[in-house]
Parts: sequence; structure tokens; C-alpha cells
Amino acid sequence: MYSTGFNTNQIMRQVIYALALGISASYIFFGWGIVIQILLGVVSALVIEAAFMAIRGRPVLESISDGSAVLTAVLLAISIPSIAPWWIIVVGVAFAIIFGKQLYGGLGSNPFNPAMLGYAFLLISYPLQMTTWPVDFSAFSQAINIIFNALSFDGLSGATRLDEVKTGLSLGNNLATMQVHSTSQAWINAGFLVGGIYLLVRKVIFWHIPVAFLSGIIVMALLVLIFDSQTHLPVQNHLMLGGTMLGAFFIATDPVSASTTPKGRLIYGFLIGVLIVVIRNYGGYPDGVAFAVLLINMTVPLIDHFTQPKVFGRA
Amino acid sequence: MSSYSYPGGVVIANPYPVDQVKIIQSPLPDKVVLPLQQRIGEEAKPCIEVGDRVLTGQVIAQTEDQFCVPIHASISGIVTAIDKQAIPHKSGLKSTCISIESDGKDEWIKTKGCGSDFLHCDKQTIIDYIQHSGVVGLGGAGFPSHAKLNKAIDCHTLIINGTECEPGMMCDEALMQHHPREVIRGVEILLHITGAQQAIIAIEDDKQEAYQSLLMFNHNDRISFAQLPAKYTSGAEKLLIKALLDVEIPSGGFAADKGILCQNVSSVKAIFDAVIDHRPLVSRIVTITGDALTPTNVEVRLGTSFEQVISLTDVNNQAHDYRMGGMMMGVDIETTQMPICKITNCIFVNNKTLKQPAKECIRCNTCNTVCPIGLLPQQLYWHAKSENIEKCTDYHLSDCIECACCSYVCPSNIDLVSYFSFAKALDKKQTADQERIDIARDRFEFREYRLDRNKEERSQMMAEKKQALKEKMAKDKEQGLEQTDKIAQAMARVKKTKEDNV
Repeated sequence: MYSTGFNTNQIMRQVIYALALGISASYIFFGWGIVIQILLGVVSALVIEAAFMAIRGRPVLESISDGSAVLTAVLLAISIPSIAPWWIIVVGVAFAIIFGKQLYGGLGSNPFNPAMLGYAFLLISYPLQMTTWPVDFSAFSQAINIIFNALSFDGLSGATRLDEVKTGLSLGNNLATMQVHSTSQAWINAGFLVGGIYLLVRKVIFWHIPVAFLSGIIVMALLVLIFDSQTHLPVQNHLMLGGTMLGAFFIATDPVSASTTPKGRLIYGFLIGVLIVVIRNYGGYPDGVAFAVLLINMTVPLIDHFTQPKVFGRA
Repeated sequence: MSSYSYPGGVVIANPYPVDQVKIIQSPLPDKVVLPLQQRIGEEAKPCIEVGDRVLTGQVIAQTEDQFCVPIHASISGIVTAIDKQAIPHKSGLKSTCISIESDGKDEWIKTKGCGSDFLHCDKQTIIDYIQHSGVVGLGGAGFPSHAKLNKAIDCHTLIINGTECEPGMMCDEALMQHHPREVIRGVEILLHITGAQQAIIAIEDDKQEAYQSLLMFNHNDRISFAQLPAKYTSGAEKLLIKALLDVEIPSGGFAADKGILCQNVSSVKAIFDAVIDHRPLVSRIVTITGDALTPTNVEVRLGTSFEQVISLTDVNNQAHDYRMGGMMMGVDIETTQMPICKITNCIFVNNKTLKQPAKECIRCNTCNTVCPIGLLPQQLYWHAKSENIEKCTDYHLSDCIECACCSYVCPSNIDLVSYFSFAKALDKKQTADQERIDIARDRFEFREYRLDRNKEERSQMMAEKKQALKEKMAKDKEQGLEQTDKIAQAMARVKKTKEDNV
């Protein structure tokens, strides 16, 4: 009727803009890979979305211009290793958009975060490609070669810090002897943190989910530290490693799959945070943002049901 | 001063601000059209006929219904028609109206009220004056003032609603600025009727001139002022009571239950006219605003057509979108060939624009944060869209005041409130249907029961009869044997007599 502030398309665009800092940090440390992945993801997302809307007999242009498919593709492209072969992102985006969104009825109807669904699908199906991360800067031609020609450069790829820690601990190593800090990861996380604060200031997202999400991580990380400080990461590493900040401000805040009540959003964010630490410490995977988000997505109807706000004039 | 707050609502600057809030006196219309249907109750019945001459203020239609007020001629002239015409109602349906052609004289009927010394009039007389002068809530709801007064006769607090929170509307503001004496005296009349200890005049803090002029005329220490922050929905009765007195009227309850009476400031002025002079309500102030003209207020006789009122302004001659009754809660209208009614507080005339189509809901939650009632419009929308009335009831659909804050902030441009009014209508229809079905089923079940009962009674009766017959037959049989003997004896006697006679 009389819209104020941002409309839906602008919200999507704002979120994409806010990702720029984190993406830049990734570029600075690891080179052109991430840029190529994003471009690949966006193009395939637009093609798949358009094709599917055409099949469903819905207006194609309106749908691809709303920015939601692009956002899904960008989020997924950021989440996967930037040196993954080209078909990884294409398959992931296709799964995210077709099974994560369109089959549920399109934008607004999906119970799961599409990008995380795509990520989980890729991680389970292609564990090798999904856990081979870059360790150094790659130039444009180098990145093209790695992504399209599957050339492997020794010394260019490796595991993430969280992965190393997990493997080290499983081999019986002591945490004190291991490198638990990662400068590149910390900078990338800081980039997403600043982008997230931008979204908060522009009122594109509400504070409830990120705050609860990070509190969940801090509380749970402290709790496990009390019991065993030898084999568990300190709190600050939980916050600045892996997908923490991306998850807190860009993934868990996806309004479609999140809880809708203020109290519900606090519970929702907190549970995701707790679950991430649980998965990192006790689960089979080094990082747990995607699985934590998907699992808590499932509880949203229940959370929403029990957290309805007080209605005026009712007890 | 602005400490009165409440959650939700939206701050909207007046989209068409003016330097000075003026009132233009509209010239007498050539013709007025007066609808007979009021907000509640039955349609009034005309007590004049086509061709009759009527005076200004004369009762031309009335009903026995205690909730209704009589309808007065708003000009003097000849009744030219009593027929169905378009009225300003969101249904767009036509309704019976009385049309009067003006004789240009504006000759009034003679009336006599309490005079300025109203204190000697008793309460019931004053309330009768108010009813017979046709005073209803002029804020937009149109609820008859006398009915409200009768319900709140022993209230302790009066709230005079001069918030006028609808962005762009300024008819109440103009009235407070230009008729402060009448408003204050009107409040004193209400204090007299109800015996309330205090009256609070609520005004939004962006209406300083109106506040100052009222303040100047107020010498009554039972009347105080409250300046609320300018935020939309502050004028909603229950929310206003909550903000001013921290009293929460329960869902489905009335302000009168808690000893509070709310009256719109324009209604208070009308009450003043009704009581002091017994002058019927035949005109009102209407805001004409929008981007197609210079916004202003017009005091106009009831029944004047929208078109004529709009023509009094400097409206441009492009294609227009029209809307009546507020930017937020009003309705878009197609035609301006409709009469001004008591509840017509505002008309928007905007240059025609293309409406943005609605997109999908992304559950962003913005609507939840602005709902002043604390509802979850997003969830309600979901269920209203799928016509799941049971779920809508779970989410307290009936508490929605249709303020349209949710529609206003929706980034996907979804007109949420229209889904809610649709769901409410559907709920009403389903409840009515269910009642009819229940009655029909009860009737059917009773018929079945009755038929069964009849059958049973009948078979029982038959069985009893059969039994009785059987018993009788058995008896008869015994008797029959005796009878046969008797017959045989008689026959023998006859035979014997015959033989003897031969």
C-alpha cells in the first residue's frame, strides 16, 4: 500500500552489499577463487530459477529480479572452498534452488535455508572437494586452472583450522601444542561482522538472532571449557573461526526460515549457537553452522507456536 | 510531557502538510442526499413524502430502534426522491436515501435547548437532546453518542479524543483551533451528565495551536490535557485509554465497563450544539487533501456530494485516485458522486498512480513489530490466505483493529489488512452458516426422534390393543361357548314351541 523503508528486492540487495567486506577479505587472502565461484553461482542460480519459474508458469522476470536466488548463490559460493571444481557450485546452487526453494512453492515458503541445504548436500555428497581449502593467494589464471581444469597445486590446498584441530585432537594431541588461531579466518569473520553491523544499522535485520546466536556460542563454549579446557577451543576461536559471523548475521537471519516472534528469534538464534559448538566439539564435522541452522529450522513452527506475544486486552 | 507511550504503531509525517489549518465554509448545496442506514440498527423510515417541503433541521426519517438517531434535513427545500443511491461505504452497495432540492433559503426549524445554563437540565433530558439532534461519533466510527452515554452514566473519567492520528487528516485539529469554547463547554456538559471526576483532552503533540487555543478557554480544574507523541494508532480508543490511564480494556470488553467514557472532540462540539440550542447535526468539517490540490478543511452540509466539495478546492484537472476516511484506515473509491455522511472525515484526491503489485511474504517480521495489539500479522496472513479460520481465531483475528500499520510497513507491499477483513467476513459467514446448519440439524434430529417416538408409541399401542383384543377374544371364546349353549338352548326352545304349535 504505502511502503516505507526497504522493499523486498532492496532487502535482498542490501544483504548482498553487506557481504562485500567479508568477500574482500577472502579475496585478499586466497585470491580470485571466491570471485569466480560467486560469478559461477550467480549465473547458474539465475538460469535455474528462470527455468523453474517458466516450468511452473510463473512470471520469470519478476522472480529473478527479486534477488533471492542471487543471494542464495552468493551465500553458498562464500561457504564452499574457493578452489572447489566448477561443478560443485553449480550442483549446489541447483540443489538449493530446486529442492530448497522451488519445490516448496518458491520464495517465502521454504522451511529450510536454501543455501545451507545446498551446502549440506554438497558436504555429504562430495566430502573431498568440500574439505579442500586454499592456504595461499591464487592469481586469476591460477584460480581458473584449479576450478575448471581440476589442476591441483601442491602446497596450495589444505584443511581449515577447525579441521586441523579436530584431526589433531582425534590423534590425541594436546590443544596447547596446536595452532588454534588463523589470521585469514579471523579477518574474513571480522569482515562479515562489520557487514552484519551495517545490516543492523540499516534495520534490514533485527538484533535478536545475531545476538542470541553469538550468545549461544559463547555460553556453550564456556560451558564445555569448564569441564575440559585441554581438548576444547577457547571462546574467541569459536567466534573467529569457520562460518561463525557469516552464520550469525547472514545465514540464521534469513527471515523465511527463521522464527517470526521476537522471543522465538532469541530462542532460535541461541539454539543454533549452542548446536554449532556441540557439533564442532563432539560431532563428526569440523564446522557445524549449516547443520545447526537446518536442524533448528525444523523446530521453527514449534518455537513460533509457543512464543506468541501477549495480545492487547488478553491475559 | 510526552510520556504517554504504547508499543507498536508507526510514525508517519503528514504527507500533505499545510502552513495554516483553515476551515472554508462551503456554500449551500443545490441538492443533498441523505442515507437512511446508520452504522448500527435498522434503516430509518421516512416520515415525509416526495414533494413535501422540509426545513433545515427537520426530522425526515426515524426509527424506534433505541440505538439509532433520527435523520434531519440538512437544507430547506423540496423532497425530490426516496430511492436507492450510492453511499460512501466500503461495500460499494447502494442504500435508500432521501434527496432534497434546496430552495436556497436555508430556513431552520425552531428549536429550544437547555440554553447556556445547562446545569439546571437533568441528565436524561440532555441525553434525549443529544439523541434527537442526531449526534454520533464523528471520528469515523459513527457510534451514536447517546448510546455510549447511557452505558457510561456513572463513569469516573472522560477522555476527549483529539489525537487525530490519521496522517493528513486535520478536521479535528481545525475544529479545536476554531471552536475551542464550544469544545470546552461540551466537555463540561459531559462532566455534568456523567458526574465524572476528571476529563482528559488528548491531543498529539504536533497540534500545538489547537492545544494552545483549548488551553486558553479552559478554566475548569476538572479538565486536563494530555499531549501524546504523534504516532499513528494513538487515537484508537482502547490504546488511548491504556496510554493515558494505564488501564487495559479486556478483549471484547468496553471502556464503560471500567468507568471510562471516550468521545471524539468533534462529537463534543456537536453535543454542545445539541444541548445548548438543541441544534441538530446537519453539517461537519471534512478534510480535503492529497497531492492534486492544496489541502484544506471544508465545513459542509451533510449530503453534499464529494464532487461539489472537491470542486471548492484548487484541484488540478488530471486523472485522480480517490480515497475516503483516512490514508491508513480509509477505502479507495471509484466515484465522487456520493454524499458526505456524518462519518466522512477526510477525502484524499491524488494524481493517478500505478499500484505496485504485491510480492511474496518473506516472513521478515516487520509487521509484527508495528502491530499495536501485539498480534502476529505475518502468521495471520498465512492462515487468512489459506482461509483457515480456525487458525486465525487461534491467532486472535477478532482483536485486529484493522489499523493497517502492517500493510503500511510491508516490504513486499502486501495489503495484509484486506486479508484480515476478508477473513473476519468469512468467519462471520461461517459462524452464521454453522448456526443455520446447527438449527437445521437440530430440527432434523428432532423430527427423526419424533418419528421414532411416534412409531414406538404406535407399536406399543398396537401391541397393547392386540393384547387387549387377544384377552377379549379369549374371554369371548369362553363366553362364546356359553353363548353357543345358550343359542342351542334357545333353538331347542324354539323348536319345541314350533312342534307344540303344530
